[in-house]
Amino acid sequence: MTAQEVRLCGLVLQEHFGEVVEKVGRNLLKSGTQNLRAIVHETGLSVDLVKKSLCVLMQHGACSFIQGRKGPGSPTEYKAHCDRMLRILRYPRYIYTAKTLYGDTGELIIEELLQRGHMTMSNTVKTVADRLTQSMDGDMDYGEVSTTFSKLVETHFLQRCPPAAGAGTTGSSQTANSTSAAPASSTAPTPESFPDCYRVPQVTLIGRSKRPLASEEGEDQRNAKKAKMDPETHGDEGIYWQVNFERFHQHFRDQTIISAVANKLDQTSSEIVRTMLRMSEVTTSSTAPCTKPLSANEIFRSLPATYNIPRHILDQYLTLLVDDPVDGVCGEGVRVIYLNQALANLARATLESIVQERFGSRSARIFRLLLRKRHLEQKQVEDFAMIPAKEAKDMLYTLLSQNLVQLQEIPKTPDFAPSRTFYLYTVNQLPTARLLLQNCYKTVANLMERRLFEAKESKRLLEKSQRIEAILASLQASGAEPEQLTEVEEMITAPEKQQLDSLRLHVNKLDSAENQVDETIFLLESYISSSTKPTS
Amino acid sequence: MAGRGRGRRPFGTDSSISRGEGLPPGLQQPTPVFPVMEQKPLPLAGGEEAEYLLALKQDFRGVMKNLPFFIKPAAAQRDVQRYSDKYHSSEQTNSLTDWNLEPSCLHVSGFQTGDDSPESCRSTSGGESEKKEEHEQSSEEEEGGVKKKPEEEEGAEAEEEYDEEELEEETDYIMSYFDNGEEFGGDSDDNMDEAIY
Repeated sequence: MTAQEVRLCGLVLQEHFGEVVEKVGRNLLKSGTQNLRAIVHETGLSVDLVKKSLCVLMQHGACSFIQGRKGPGSPTEYKAHCDRMLRILRYPRYIYTAKTLYGDTGELIIEELLQRGHMTMSNTVKTVADRLTQSMDGDMDYGEVSTTFSKLVETHFLQRCPPAAGAGTTGSSQTANSTSAAPASSTAPTPESFPDCYRVPQVTLIGRSKRPLASEEGEDQRNAKKAKMDPETHGDEGIYWQVNFERFHQHFRDQTIISAVANKLDQTSSEIVRTMLRMSEVTTSSTAPCTKPLSANEIFRSLPATYNIPRHILDQYLTLLVDDPVDGVCGEGVRVIYLNQALANLARATLESIVQERFGSRSARIFRLLLRKRHLEQKQVEDFAMIPAKEAKDMLYTLLSQNLVQLQEIPKTPDFAPSRTFYLYTVNQLPTARLLLQNCYKTVANLMERRLFEAKESKRLLEKSQRIEAILASLQASGAEPEQLTEVEEMITAPEKQQLDSLRLHVNKLDSAENQVDETIFLLESYISSSTKPTS
Repeated sequence: MAGRGRGRRPFGTDSSISRGEGLPPGLQQPTPVFPVMEQKPLPLAGGEEAEYLLALKQDFRGVMKNLPFFIKPAAAQRDVQRYSDKYHSSEQTNSLTDWNLEPSCLHVSGFQTGDDSPESCRSTSGGESEKKEEHEQSSEEEEGGVKKKPEEEEGAEAEEEYDEEELEEETDYIMSYFDNGEEFGGDSDDNMDEAIY
């Protein structure tokens, strides 16, 4: 938990859950595992508020609890998950991906689940159907939404929440991922593995969602009655679903590899790679270093029908992909994509482009040289990069001071006499990636703070414009004349309008920049986690 | 670490100052907050996808602010007890999460929320018998809590009145002795038979 991560998590929690949850979350991140009393004492909040915040954090999976470590009588302890909180930055991307894959219904399902943390299937279906009904004419059938839900579960984008274990740690979702999507296994779920993870329960949810009544009182009464009465059970109580982030990450990774191949080679080869990745989507776990071996025959059969390439051309493409070091397709007879290697290559490209944008193209040339040649002396750097000595020295020292390049000393004599020691410049990809990842976290935190600052500066103006919009909306709803509308609109003066416009522009730019930095964060995070895993 | 051995170079041989040159001029003021960049950054990626992602992000933030998950610290006491207070819908705390998934020490019954946030009634999760019991328990305690609240407000009001008196007292006269004519004509509206002098 680095300082930058904690700061960023704090800002994210504050924006989405309020200051109380932010305080509690920050405290948990800084001090590790703690029990309730300690949290209350350190944050200085009331017990109720702390309890509520912990519930909110657990609902969204950012916090987990362990029954006391010091024996059966000790209190439960709570632990916060930093990486889970940082996922919140990526929510728009998940929703957009669901939209491209499963349409508006899928988009709304994922959005609801991300907002609520976890929900039962029946609740999700009902809420989504209501929302769809509101935005289009005609009623939405529950069945349609249910089928989309089932499709999302089949392709592993949604998974069941692990059932609450009274004792012991709650099972992690990584073990759940390793179970296949075979329906209805007969073994009872043990705490460690959840064979039912992807089984859609039998839900009796027949009907359509109705449009809400026009009169407000009727709905309030009806809903008030509903809350008091026993709500209809749909046969899936206690089974909660959550979004499977690992699967989405797998999808993003595949998309990045495919577009990299498309950029480097051509469309057809990217289609081949897409087919290979799709064939091993569900069967390969997200942490595997390579896809399952596929023979050329299988690839040929699974190619989409629009690509009518004959067999021998496919073989040629495959040999081309083997030679090309971008994605590491390898093997004779059977083809395998080395995902770890692909990620390493993508991360290396990211690092090179970062250096290029920050320090110029010549420094980037030196950086790329050092990445390929590993260790070089200063003289060799000047020669290979074809840059005059003085400038090369300057650039190297700048990169060294930014910690992007390291110095390795190889002594000739036991005392490290400078005249008798080799000084070699080198770049280590993994530590450099870690450094730049922390920079990215700092960047996003700075962007968020600047955005909050800008909004606070113009708070008065924003409130005024909101009030005027509300007045305008109510006037229009009650059918006012155009003169009244213009009169209300003129309450905002022209310079104020300009100020508002520029404020909106700035806020949008900052938000958009956060999204873009998050793409880099994703790439670097995937690379780091793929190379630090113990290789099995 | 490079210069700790016996063969140490004299101090300052590494820097680019050649012999005989003077020291560089000292800094007169702190370094600028936003130093000039030699390389300008690239413009942001625009396009439909980026704009859609932006809209999604801002919508999501807006929605999260209205959900029951957004916990605000207890709002300050209102100055005057208003008629509309009892018509604000109080938050359903049981809809926050399924209590079966939380450890038992976190079960809170009878939450007293400091402020009121209108909540969509659809967010109640599936009901079970345990939760119904808790709901009844919490509604009972909520009523007790509501009774406590007007008492607190009365206490606050009494304090406020006292403060008002103190504040207005720049003179030595006690304000309540002073009749500012508000009550004139108030009593006589009931019985119109009597003559008004």
